[in-house]
Amino acid sequence: MRKSNFWGLLFVLPFIIGTAVFFVFPVLFSGYISFTDWDMFNPPKFVGLKNWINSFKDPAFWISFRNVLYFAAIFVPLQTIFALVIANMLNQKIKFKGGFRACYFLPNVTPWVAGAIVWKFLYGYDYGLINYILRSLGFEGSYWYDSDKWWVAIGSLALMNVWKGMGQTMVILLSAMQSVPKEIVEAATTEGAGKAAIFRKITVPMISPMVFLTMILSTISAFTAFDVFLTMFDVYSLPDRNNVVNLMVYREAFIYGKMGPASTLAWMLFIIILIITVIQRKFEKKWVHYEN
Amino acid sequence: MKKRLVSALVMTGAAIMLMGGCGSSKGQDSKATGDKSAADSGVEQKSEKKSSKAVTLRIGLPGGYDVTNKEIIEGFQNEYPDIKLDIDEAPWGDFTKKITTQIAGGTAPDIWFQENAAVLGYGDKGAAEDLMPYIERDLNEDEFASTLFSAQVGESVWGVPHGGNPIALAYNKDLFDEAGVSYPTDDWTYEDMIEAAKKLTKDTDGDGKTDVYGLITSGGITDGWFPWIHSAGGQALDETKENAVFDDEKSLKGITEWANTVNTYKISPARSTFNELGGTHQVFGNGMGAMVFLQYSLGNTVLNTNFPDLNYDTVKMPKAFDGEERIVPNVNNTWMIFSKAKEENKEAAWTFLKYYLSPEVQKIVADSGSTIPVNKEALTYMENLQFKPLNKKAYTEGVDESGVTLDENKCWNEWRTAAQPVFNDIMDGKTDPESGLKQIKKSVQEVLDENYEK
Repeated sequence: MRKSNFWGLLFVLPFIIGTAVFFVFPVLFSGYISFTDWDMFNPPKFVGLKNWINSFKDPAFWISFRNVLYFAAIFVPLQTIFALVIANMLNQKIKFKGGFRACYFLPNVTPWVAGAIVWKFLYGYDYGLINYILRSLGFEGSYWYDSDKWWVAIGSLALMNVWKGMGQTMVILLSAMQSVPKEIVEAATTEGAGKAAIFRKITVPMISPMVFLTMILSTISAFTAFDVFLTMFDVYSLPDRNNVVNLMVYREAFIYGKMGPASTLAWMLFIIILIITVIQRKFEKKWVHYEN
Repeated sequence: MKKRLVSALVMTGAAIMLMGGCGSSKGQDSKATGDKSAADSGVEQKSEKKSSKAVTLRIGLPGGYDVTNKEIIEGFQNEYPDIKLDIDEAPWGDFTKKITTQIAGGTAPDIWFQENAAVLGYGDKGAAEDLMPYIERDLNEDEFASTLFSAQVGESVWGVPHGGNPIALAYNKDLFDEAGVSYPTDDWTYEDMIEAAKKLTKDTDGDGKTDVYGLITSGGITDGWFPWIHSAGGQALDETKENAVFDDEKSLKGITEWANTVNTYKISPARSTFNELGGTHQVFGNGMGAMVFLQYSLGNTVLNTNFPDLNYDTVKMPKAFDGEERIVPNVNNTWMIFSKAKEENKEAAWTFLKYYLSPEVQKIVADSGSTIPVNKEALTYMENLQFKPLNKKAYTEGVDESGVTLDENKCWNEWRTAAQPVFNDIMDGKTDPESGLKQIKKSVQEVLDENYEK
């Protein structure tokens, strides 16, 4: 082995070990566990495809998967649009720009537990602020996160997630906007283009790789969202109609101690996310513009 | 394309990493032998008060010193200087999350406590030491309440109580006086309670909305649907704890009345109301409700702290509608010894438990007001303590005469999680009691069948 190779390998060794121990092994191990019954106390018992067949046939899984899809369908576009609009506003010459940026980023660093207390107050049926406003305007109050209509309950949580995650996406898009060459914008302005046209025809196409990246990240974060559900729902009394796959995994693994079905559900979710990500990449060429 | 597929794989793999727990294969090779008798493992050695061999005993304290009095731990350390203590304390939720992986990895504390149902599960899986031989060797059963054996399954005892937490009927004396209604007595039935609640329910400011409710009916298991299902002689599970009952006529009557308190009689606030206000006990403390089924721990730790001027007391849980039977649900936290601990550590852990169960220490437990001791001498002592509720016999005698567990078995968490959402729907008026109970019976039976491999 050449000396330079040796030192190179030595320097990347901690990363390789970390990846092997904390990524490769758990992923492969959970794959193995998905074919077993394992209660974490006794040795795993191989059960073949039982967990996979049971999960596939379980209506609760498909309901929770529908909920995740719906959650992502609301969360991803809303977060991207809001982040894009706010980033564009903060990219203008306005006063207190730093203060506004900090305000929009603040939810991102707020712990979910604290955020959930505020949102439970906002969403409360009897004493919640939203229902108070609705009733003041002559409307009926509504149940939100605790609604028996799944699309209202999951939609309420998707909005919360937008509030929490928008700041980070906004920062990424803002930095992309700041790298748009000023000359192009100035040339367009000289040619008589308005702000809306510049945003639509210059800014958005030029930052489209970043928009694409944030959409991929948002999609993954929507499918792996956990804290928002754990803090807002009570896992011990959550009806199937409002459940999501990650809470099912958590419940199976850490409340029931059934690691086999939990690993199966996690792998099924992994496969689904993989398919969706591949589809997203397929459509990438249609609207993402790379410089080269 | 290939490159993109690889990057997509990496990204999705990272997603799985975010949600996947890292399991350890450690400890897989040996089935824990919780049923191994203590006699086999050296329990018959004479246990001396002062341990002659230095051991380090790891004690797990979920909830830290908020739940277990520090004075007890320090007292033990002073009395047994040869047993070094290594305290593993964490907030309750964090502790219960990490303990399963610690057990799997063989790194759990030598002794800790958790909900009784969880300990029964550990016993079934072989992670808890059977304490029956220790109890037979060292304890005089006559000195203890029957709750000493709350964690008994067959001939095995998987733990001993950290403390009991039964329920009683709490009432607000001022609201009863204002309404001119006589205080509840130990002879009240559920019928008497409902009738009194109707008289106590009032719209005090005349705006058409109820301001004071006669009763605060909980939606949960311990102080909610479980006692109510028994109120007409019904049952959740049968005596074997392997079969769901739920939808028999008696259970249906009990649950119908439970839901009626909210939806028909309107003598109790809706579930959403007390959830938003912080729970049934908070609503009771605020003076919005005249009666509530109150767990013992909530009296001293919540009501006496947050509402020091609240004028309340307790009586025993009401008798069933027919005036015959009374049941008092009792939730225990249970100490257990890890079956994989070293033999000398198991003996040190048992020494700690004997110390914990001694009258002196049990009196410290009683003084905390957060839990009911199991030692009879300490129970008598507790009845004379001067903090509210003054009538502590509602709890001590109530649980002694009619105490029951919540039909706990090895899959308790699983079946009650299947049942609770439907009970919520029944209480919220979204499902009628009859079809709701049928649905519950079916789901719970499926869980039981799976866990008992029927």
